[in-house]
Amino acid sequence: MGHLTRAHLLEALAFLLIVVTFYGFSFEFNQPIEIYRYGATAWPRVVIGCLMFATLGNIWFQYFNGSLSQGTIGSSNDEADLTDPKTIRRMTAVLLTPIVFAWLLKPVGIYFSAPFFIAAIIWLFGERRWKAIVIMTVFIYLLFIGLFLVILNAPLPQGNISPFYDFSAWILTMNAKLQGI
Amino acid sequence: MIENFLAGSAALFGDPFTIGIFVFGVIGGMLFGAIPGVSMLTLAAILLPFTAALEPAQGVMLFAVIYCTGTYGGAITAILFNIPGSAENAPTAFDGYPMTQNGQSGKAVGAAVLCSAIGGIASSLIMMAATEPLANWAIRNIGPPEIFALVFFGLAVASSIGARTIWKGWMSVLIGLLIATVGQDPVGGINRYNFGMVDLAAGIAFVPAILGFFAVSEIFVQAEKKASGKYKAPKVSMTFPSWLELWMHKVAVLRSIIVGFLCGILPGIGATLAAFMSYGEAVRWSKTPEEFGKGKLEGVISAETANNAATGAAMIPLLALGLPGGALTAMMVAVFQMHDLQPGPLVFMLSPDLIWIVFAAMFYANLSILVIGLVETKTILNLLKIPFQFLAPLILMLATTGAYIGRGLVLDVIVMFLAGIFGYLLRRSGFSIPGIVLGLILGKIGEQNFAQGMQMVHYDLGTYFSRPICAFLIAAGVLTLATSLYRAFKSIKASA
Repeated sequence: MGHLTRAHLLEALAFLLIVVTFYGFSFEFNQPIEIYRYGATAWPRVVIGCLMFATLGNIWFQYFNGSLSQGTIGSSNDEADLTDPKTIRRMTAVLLTPIVFAWLLKPVGIYFSAPFFIAAIIWLFGERRWKAIVIMTVFIYLLFIGLFLVILNAPLPQGNISPFYDFSAWILTMNAKLQGI
Repeated sequence: MIENFLAGSAALFGDPFTIGIFVFGVIGGMLFGAIPGVSMLTLAAILLPFTAALEPAQGVMLFAVIYCTGTYGGAITAILFNIPGSAENAPTAFDGYPMTQNGQSGKAVGAAVLCSAIGGIASSLIMMAATEPLANWAIRNIGPPEIFALVFFGLAVASSIGARTIWKGWMSVLIGLLIATVGQDPVGGINRYNFGMVDLAAGIAFVPAILGFFAVSEIFVQAEKKASGKYKAPKVSMTFPSWLELWMHKVAVLRSIIVGFLCGILPGIGATLAAFMSYGEAVRWSKTPEEFGKGKLEGVISAETANNAATGAAMIPLLALGLPGGALTAMMVAVFQMHDLQPGPLVFMLSPDLIWIVFAAMFYANLSILVIGLVETKTILNLLKIPFQFLAPLILMLATTGAYIGRGLVLDVIVMFLAGIFGYLLRRSGFSIPGIVLGLILGKIGEQNFAQGMQMVHYDLGTYFSRPICAFLIAAGVLTLATSLYRAFKSIKASA
């Protein structure tokens, strides 16, 4: 196994999976283009081939050197420290919270979901003083509303399910009244 | 030229409303560039519909000013938070952020202010003097084969920057190129990898992907450090670089202006590649290349001078040929079209007033960077004093809005957060996020120009390499790749 670790093997496996998946799906659009000899698949397949070569080169390098740096420019030796189960649990929550927030944007809208998201992120970043969480949530929410709704009138997701949609409509009506529109 | 410039200045400062738009553009560009999570593109996307109500010159001028000041503003977040405001500021973070960690944030920001202004002013002056002859040269000598060759060279350079090993550098660039293949192919319009989703037919939008890879992934990195108790608050420093320190880098500044301007002229390439190539050249010419990436002032100077030098140059293909050099210049085409104008050679004949107001505004915008930048830098540095648990949700909310506003799609917000997770996992394993982003940006441009280039030379490689610029750039790219491959093999041999 040389200097290979389980993380190295998982990394290589993930990249080879990407290579196989993208190569497999490339047959879905494998059609000739009349004005271009190489067709729509040539470019992606060259990229896939190069990625496979680089992945194999990477695992070969790691076999001899492990996670050593190779003297490239601007790289950081800072590696993830995910050994503590508590850190893993916290990071899982940090990574999933924005995805849940994004998924809720269409049905719930940003005006209703934003305060909960802001509070959750503050809490996940280690703030435990409830007063600070509430005050900062309100402050960031008002700053956000003030900049994008009141000043810039930017169109933002309003949700499509009642009562969330009604809440967004109420905020927009308030803004319109405030600006005398 | 001087007469035209004075006439443009008079038109710009002769009307209070135009002055108001200019000031709004300068401050708006700087603010949106300097606020982590949003960028000048967010502001431009919001403002685009409103430009219909402005005079054509005012609309184009507003976007040109935002382009100049926003490019500078993005350096602030790159230096202070390792979150580049846009892709062209990514190389600034390589040395800027380590400088912040070493307690030299004031020095890095001060150098960014000065060099952005110098690069931008030099570029404006060259643009005013040489737009027409340069455009004529570009029309005759630069075509799709040359642009593909430059993309190839740029990607070869980018693969050796930012990753822990050469292999990971290549993998980073290739992942970016692979993501860029999602959506319609640029030649036949055939849908690729859209997995039945209509919204993906247009491909992965740059802005959400860039926000995800840069801003969101950095938030996740800081969250991990907080969770594992390794978080260190960045040190605030108000020490600016001395004039002597800056004078010592005069060669780097001059080289970066040339690299930045030449890259900026080429349509579709823009400031991003300029910054990467300038950084790469700084390393190549340095007597102490091993110091780059650890907080070397020359790294910040090279990247920031070049990306601002590219802003003026990017106007040349836009105004002379009607070809945008990047996302913001593409929006400027939309401003022209809203007013029934088409950027191109005819604009010089039909609307010379518009051209010279824009040129004058860009010159003064770059001058404003120097004045406002130096005054405001100390205020901006205080951002570092905000505890990260309060800054993180603000950045995520701004990024969410920035990702959504471009196309009005929730899918873009999801893409941004997925890119954030993917970016977090990759950067913690030693991959290069700037490499991925450059691959993503240049992927479609490279493929399109490769296809057009091959059609032009009738698929004959001999004809392709008989074009001197192509032969030179491809050879330089191959040499760069071969050198890095040799180093990779040598390091394996040494440790075996």
